Amino acid sequence: MRRLALVVLIALAALALACGGKAPEKKLNIYIWTNYLPDDVLADFERRTGIHATVDTYDSNEVLLQKLQSGVADYDVVVPSDYMVPILVSQKLLLSLDKARLQGLDNLDPRFLDRELDPGNTHSIPYLWGTTGLGYDRTKVAAPLDSWSALFDARYKGRILMLDDPREAFGVVLKLMGRSLNETDPAVLRQAADRLKAQKALVKTYNSSDFANLLAAGDVDISHGWNGELAELAAKDPKRFAYVVPKEGSTLWIDSLAIPARATHVEEAYAFFSFLLEPEVAARVVNGVHYAGANKAAWDRIKPEIRNDPSIYPPEEVLDRCELLKDLGPATQLIDELWTEIKAQ
Amino acid sequence: MTGRRLLAVHTVLIYLFLYLPIAVLVIFSFNAARQTAVWQGFTLDWYRRLAADGRLLGSVRNSLLVAGITTVIATVLGTLAALALARYRFRGRGATDVVLFLPVILPEVVMGAALLTFFGAVGMRLSLWTVILAHVVFSVSYVAIVVRARLAGLDPSLEEAARDLGAGPFETFRRVTLPLILPGVAASALLVFTLSIDDYVVTSFVAGVGATTLPLHIYSMLKLGVTPEVNAVSSLLLAGTMVLIVMAHRLMQTRRDEP
Repeated sequence: MRRLALVVLIALAALALACGGKAPEKKLNIYIWTNYLPDDVLADFERRTGIHATVDTYDSNEVLLQKLQSGVADYDVVVPSDYMVPILVSQKLLLSLDKARLQGLDNLDPRFLDRELDPGNTHSIPYLWGTTGLGYDRTKVAAPLDSWSALFDARYKGRILMLDDPREAFGVVLKLMGRSLNETDPAVLRQAADRLKAQKALVKTYNSSDFANLLAAGDVDISHGWNGELAELAAKDPKRFAYVVPKEGSTLWIDSLAIPARATHVEEAYAFFSFLLEPEVAARVVNGVHYAGANKAAWDRIKPEIRNDPSIYPPEEVLDRCELLKDLGPATQLIDELWTEIKAQ
Repeated sequence: MTGRRLLAVHTVLIYLFLYLPIAVLVIFSFNAARQTAVWQGFTLDWYRRLAADGRLLGSVRNSLLVAGITTVIATVLGTLAALALARYRFRGRGATDVVLFLPVILPEVVMGAALLTFFGAVGMRLSLWTVILAHVVFSVSYVAIVVRARLAGLDPSLEEAARDLGAGPFETFRRVTLPLILPGVAASALLVFTLSIDDYVVTSFVAGVGATTLPLHIYSMLKLGVTPEVNAVSSLLLAGTMVLIVMAHRLMQTRRDEP
């Protein structure tokens, strides 16, 4: 028994040493979405700077918010989506960026700078972006699709999937009506809801998590969805599947790099951002993750098959009609109520 | 006769219901397609990819570490608590009894939020250790409940006999009580391991730097779509668990065969 006690004691001592020893080595704790940072890019950063990076992943902006609110999470780099940035800023959870410590800011595409999510980019810099659009089975539709009107076409009755997401669903109709995604006029929203109610007879299912699988399995022929999975499907089997951002315009999302207010390795975080801003590195990120990057100077180094893929980089005039989703304030409640009416019908 | 046949059919159906999803999961880990719903031919690609995916493997390692350490701590603490509650009378025994049940009834979200607030209040940095602590908190109760049930069915005269024959309290525990409650202890250890390794809710609240566990990693893959790599890692975990169960079963049997 005494031996056992000794073993436990030694183990505890070792544990205390392992936890308490504050090594002065350079560290960086990154909190990011999965598949947002290719392993070889990170390895390169560590080799070049001698900074040891730890990567943890999260599955929603809300988890990120809650971690930063706790005040005891030691992250130095986070990647919030567009709508989360103003929330984090308003709660003083992000560090105000010192632009003088960032190299390569002018490599970024001005289209993604100074947007409403962070005017003047005081707290964040754009990293990757994407769109909402239509994925479809080429063999099952009459002609290549280019408009949201396909989702209201009686010929495709029972073969349509809509995102189970009120803002995205209303966005489709609002864009068809030539309105903004961020429309708050109750009369217009009611009109949009009526069209969604009429559309319900054509819709096979409302689904936000499994849409690409259902399209791939042939359960539906046209799917409203986010570009990540749908573009991947189209790239894998281009003869059968396609992804398009409809000509009326759509939702644009931007995920940005930011430093939490309580970060302890701020110097290293700036070094990491400057590294990611290098055109060569930014191109390797895009080539590795198959999402569009916000770095304009990287353009020539991006693989042509990604650069020329309209599902990843939609044409200029389409992108111009895309908008970020904004917090609508009181109108949010109306949209939720109307959405419940539509779903309950 | 027809009754027996019906019973057989019924049994087969129940087993299909239980195991078909798992079979599908394993089969699709060999699927050439990236999507999880269409079969496109056999491949070992996902296992190869898994072997090269440092972050996924790191999350598996974290999960095994958390589950392993949690199992040891929770089993010891829970068994001791069960012994105290079953064998001794002390002030506050009734209250302890009730409080011990609480973590089992408490919704996980509440537990996660409470733990996060607590860690925040005492300024404890989130890490792998906060995950282990949190897991211990919710699993101790399960151990205590299972072991207590076992203790309740135990004949106290066996322990009395040991003491009559001159064994001290510790020797009585080691040579009489512990062997008798061991199946309960082992069962609760397995239960804790399972609860810990697949916990998502509480873990997502309290995980810190370097503490991404397998469930957290899989959920975070949802944004880009879960690939058959997840099927592959699940199949391997399943195989590992089966080996453990068979081993535990064998061990119990040889023990029982001994005179």
